[in-house]
Amino acid sequence: MTGRAAGLGVGLVFGVTLSWSGLSSPEVIRDALLFKDSYLFLLFASAVFVAAVGIALLRRAERRALLVDAQITCEPERPARRHLVGAAVFGLGWGIADACPGPIANQVGQGIAWSLFTFTGVVIGVYLFLRREQPETEPATDATAPPARAAQPTPV
Amino acid sequence: MEHSQLAWYIAGPVLGLCVVAVRALFNARLGVTGGFSEVVGRVRQGALGFDWRGWFLVGVILGGTVFALVAGGPDFHGYGWLTDTFHGSAQILIAPILLVAGVLIGFGAKLAGGCTSGNGLSGTAMLSPAALAATATFFGTAIVVSFALEAVIS
Repeated sequence: MTGRAAGLGVGLVFGVTLSWSGLSSPEVIRDALLFKDSYLFLLFASAVFVAAVGIALLRRAERRALLVDAQITCEPERPARRHLVGAAVFGLGWGIADACPGPIANQVGQGIAWSLFTFTGVVIGVYLFLRREQPETEPATDATAPPARAAQPTPV
Repeated sequence: MEHSQLAWYIAGPVLGLCVVAVRALFNARLGVTGGFSEVVGRVRQGALGFDWRGWFLVGVILGGTVFALVAGGPDFHGYGWLTDTFHGSAQILIAPILLVAGVLIGFGAKLAGGCTSGNGLSGTAMLSPAALAATATFFGTAIVVSFALEAVIS
């Protein structure tokens, strides 16, 4: 219960910021990808910097996660073919729609009718992937990363 | 942009702190595609209870609603180059284009293990080589696609 409320809360902050910064606007994304505007790159770099410093501090302090019973870890992953192929497929869709999953969900909340098509597409794409019975690529917690297709863990 | 844009040096760090919060709370990567995946996976199994990732997605959606209510409307009108290019009855073409783009985005992000937030923000912040490779690839591909589209439509 606490975990779900916390997820909702972080999502709300993330979502309001996506709208307010204009990252949900296809024109802002397109201007960035055409190098007409540096806003997205500056925002992205500052976000990664703050996140990197914060995570490094958490690890140095050897903290335990607040809502799951686990030490905070940070396991770098080695690149595999799927990372490059998947990212290329993703980048193709992103360059056409000028929105990625966060902004797409955010546009739906704003009441942008066109985004219902992209949103439906993302749901179909994720469904097609899950149907292939692949191991979880984005687990709810890295601490108990299950082997390929283990039983669904209880919701955090 | 219909409204004054939040400065990048505020918006960026706020998004970065969201990534840190998810690591501190769940020892996990923040990722919007993870939220889609959780919801689609549960519904597919006939369940309706989501873990934090599903609720995170709900928050991202409702965050847009909160913004639109406070700001008095959505952040933009039309839909970028698509509504600039297709007019009148030709606008019906936008629907399948966005649907197919969405499928590529959803499938590609799952295959790559994350989207702009999962790999781009959370993975690169951990200096994960896989996330850095994925982020460079999707930024590069999207930039090439954007310039190619620009050459075709202008």
